[in-house]
Amino acid sequence: MPHNKNKIKILIAKPGLDGHDRGAKVVAQALKDAGMEVIYSGLHKTIDQIINIAIQEDVDFIGLSIMTGAHIPITEKLMKKLKEKGIEDKKVFVGGVIPSKDIPKLKELGVEGVFPGGTPLQETIEFIKNKTKTP
Amino acid sequence: MALKYSEKGKKIGIIAIDPTSSKTKGALLGDRLRMRDAENIEGIFIRSMAHRGYPGGIARATVGAIYVLEALGKNIILIESVGIGQTDINISSVCDTLITIFTPDYGDEIQLMKAGMIELGDVIVLNKSDMSGAQEAMQEISAHINSDNKNTWKPPLIMTQAQKGTGLDELVNATEKHLKHLKEENLLDKTRSEKIKKLMFSFLKEEIWTKAMDKWDQDHELTGILEMLERKEVDLYRAVSKASSLIFPDC
Repeated sequence: MPHNKNKIKILIAKPGLDGHDRGAKVVAQALKDAGMEVIYSGLHKTIDQIINIAIQEDVDFIGLSIMTGAHIPITEKLMKKLKEKGIEDKKVFVGGVIPSKDIPKLKELGVEGVFPGGTPLQETIEFIKNKTKTP
Repeated sequence: MALKYSEKGKKIGIIAIDPTSSKTKGALLGDRLRMRDAENIEGIFIRSMAHRGYPGGIARATVGAIYVLEALGKNIILIESVGIGQTDINISSVCDTLITIFTPDYGDEIQLMKAGMIELGDVIVLNKSDMSGAQEAMQEISAHINSDNKNTWKPPLIMTQAQKGTGLDELVNATEKHLKHLKEENLLDKTRSEKIKKLMFSFLKEEIWTKAMDKWDQDHELTGILEMLERKEVDLYRAVSKASSLIFPDC
């Protein structure tokens, strides 16, 4: 077995009071099937908990799944905390119920990719692979 | 367990290992998700790992992670192995106390009689002890626990219900007792040096295998053996012996 030094490690996280995790699980499964190592946070995580997991697990990507409509404040808080903790090298992507008008705002906050419900899974996979190629 | 140790003022490191898919090489690391309460406690560090095809219930990097956690000043390191079967025993070589966990639906007595984990566990746990059949399972397991007279330690059997926290005090006591026993009988250094040797050989085997596979891809004679095997010009045993003498010409 080769020592996979370049394995991609991803945290799929569910922040806040949001009980809908079918989407997060589908994405987690798809990324796993694409050969990546995926950690699923479970429901109802605070931003601090998500940051803590990202540090302890040293993931390359954080994928937020948000269905509550609070994607902008949540993402803003996460991006701020990432900087505070000095781990802004971790790339963030967001999925869930995200109106297209909010996508530019999320990108402005530093989010690298936005994948609203209905995005083909392959698109998310390709995004991660491309982002990994160019460090 | 982490919570109980934490209440005693210990600092805990947890390494949680889940399997890598042999098909896609991906992994879903879901152990952390089950440790909701432990996650929020300062002094508990959880690291998930995919086993990446390594044998024995651990990943290649597990040993390195143990070194790091020790250096961080963790008093207790809990390693959750990939669910392992009857022969994968590297996990027992990286820890001082091996806890083997059964649930009441493990099968029947024959399963317990087979060579395997029940022989190696220093502490045996029957979890989900509220399930039906738990009493019978307890009797069966305790009848099969290694009662070898040469051994001064008899593995205790602890009934737990992890979800409710039932039996966890007893479990922590049992692991502490086991460690105390090793120290009192002057066995700790001896077993540790035996274990590190076992691990050395197991890791060496993997290293040799990796090197052999690298060689395989570049060597036409070796790939030729596979083709001969396909064409049934040579049988499996002969092919293996031929390949082995090509990879290790001096042996």
